[in-house]
Amino acid sequence: MLSLIQVLTSGIAIGCVYGLVALSFVLIYKATETVSFMQGELLMVGAFAAVALNTGAGWPLWLAAVVAVAGLALLGAVLERFALRRAIGQPHLVAVLLTFGLGMMLRGGVTSVPAASHDIYRLPFADSVLQIGALALSLSHVLVIVATVVLAGVLAIFFRYTRAGLALRACSENARVAALMGVPVASMHTLAWALGAALAAVAGLLLAPITFIHLNMGLIALKAFPAAVLGGLTSLPGALVGGVFLGVAESLAGLVLPEGVKDVVPYVLLMLALLLFPDGMAAGWRRRR
Amino acid sequence: MLRPLLLIAVILALGLSVLGADYAAGQATLVATYAIAGLGLVIIVGQAGQITLGQGALVALGAYAETLLAMRGVPPVLSVPAAVALGAAGGALASLPARRLGGLYFAMSTLAFALIVEEMLVRWTSLTRGGAGLSVPTLAWGGMRVDTPLAQMLVSLAALMLAWLACRRLLAGRSGRAWRAVREDEIAAAEACGIDVAATKLRAFVLGGALAGLAGALYAHWIGFISPEQFGLMFSFELLMLVFIGGARHLSGALWGALVIVSLPQLIALLRDVLPGEWSRSAGLETVLFGAVIVAMVLLRPQGLASASGGAQASVRKGTED
Repeated sequence: MLSLIQVLTSGIAIGCVYGLVALSFVLIYKATETVSFMQGELLMVGAFAAVALNTGAGWPLWLAAVVAVAGLALLGAVLERFALRRAIGQPHLVAVLLTFGLGMMLRGGVTSVPAASHDIYRLPFADSVLQIGALALSLSHVLVIVATVVLAGVLAIFFRYTRAGLALRACSENARVAALMGVPVASMHTLAWALGAALAAVAGLLLAPITFIHLNMGLIALKAFPAAVLGGLTSLPGALVGGVFLGVAESLAGLVLPEGVKDVVPYVLLMLALLLFPDGMAAGWRRRR
Repeated sequence: MLRPLLLIAVILALGLSVLGADYAAGQATLVATYAIAGLGLVIIVGQAGQITLGQGALVALGAYAETLLAMRGVPPVLSVPAAVALGAAGGALASLPARRLGGLYFAMSTLAFALIVEEMLVRWTSLTRGGAGLSVPTLAWGGMRVDTPLAQMLVSLAALMLAWLACRRLLAGRSGRAWRAVREDEIAAAEACGIDVAATKLRAFVLGGALAGLAGALYAHWIGFISPEQFGLMFSFELLMLVFIGGARHLSGALWGALVIVSLPQLIALLRDVLPGEWSRSAGLETVLFGAVIVAMVLLRPQGLASASGGAQASVRKGTED
């Protein structure tokens, strides 16, 4: 029972990271109809930026984290201004290749820094354990879950009560009508990319204490696609729920199924979801309700 | 059809004089093999208008099928069709979950399929020896052994010609028209023309998979060693980039794209020699340049090379046959 709870917590924690990346993916997709295949790279760059500021420049961890996330938001906005907006209105393939190419440039850029390609990094507090009676939970897992809940709350407030949030929502519901109502659609696209990049950076920071910071940590974003599709592809809460669901399913599979099957679980689930709910899971739920 | 062949001949002659016959033949072999896989993508992406991120995995299925059969002494008359059939079956399977949907869902289901196949090749060690890889026997039938670069080139070019002719026939006929109708407007295709959209897409994926299987079988023989990481997601993207660079609307796009993709690493290696000190040694340079080429292509020449070379007008004249 105890071990089950521990497996579940670690599954939820990793699922939160999947969910955050899926959230950034869905946010960008909803606002700009662009599929981003560089979320993993943005995640990796964000984590490395924090490490560079923390261990390289000697800044305190919280400041390094804040600056890294803000820097990634800026990077997202700049990329949107100079390249990504060309993909709007084009076939999906254009955005897929464009974001993939930009992602390769980012990854190659980080690889070119000798310190990044030789070492793996951990942020402090990774090994602490939270003891509740007989239950031992990894502090980093609890931290990831708490941070995700807080972040989801902040995002909900942003989308519900701020002008920019409302405008962004209007823009993703119907860009044409939004433009007629005076919403600056082009700057909303920039905002969506900035938010998407910042969310990926946060996911990278949260992932850092669970795994390590290394060049291939961005591969985790591949699990964000199943999470987003399971969540219905255009639903922001759905993306988070899909991520957590995947994380838990994966951990349970690791407990029950033979070695190595665990990593395939998200993709098998994705194939099944596409087979059974061809309009997306969210539509399936809606129909049933 | 004539122009790219002429170009290949020119490049071959150049290659022969500069790099030596064997090297040039080896490169031409690779170009032809990549172009066969690229033809499959021209059908799926350029004609039927669907995205696939799993073409690399279908090539892998062909390569492993051919290798495992050839290792057991099965002659190529049986093993190559088996590889082609496995590729086609894979294509059908990958597209199945998203049959009724378009665009992004196809991308997702083919992505999932590719990752499942890759994981399977790594984990099923009793059959594939996992990451350790398999060494592939020479392509041989009866007393004939294809073991010189020249022979390999001839076999590949012959296979490319056959595949090309088959695709050209299909594109000129009923299937081609159905694919293009689905590409332009699915709903109109279904309601006004009575086209079975799902079956049409499925056909594109089956044909694309078959071509990928053929390319995989040949690739395995020429390279002589296969392991799962050769066929990862990166390879699928490379192939996607191939048709995008070449121009997905024309069969000749596969050839142009293959030329660029095969020569790109060589060009980057050349550039490495020219660039000054610190930069040329860095491990990330190749990735950055490769990414930069993709981005530049997408931004500067979104129609691809094939249409830039007068292919567009030609295809208007002849109907979109090539």
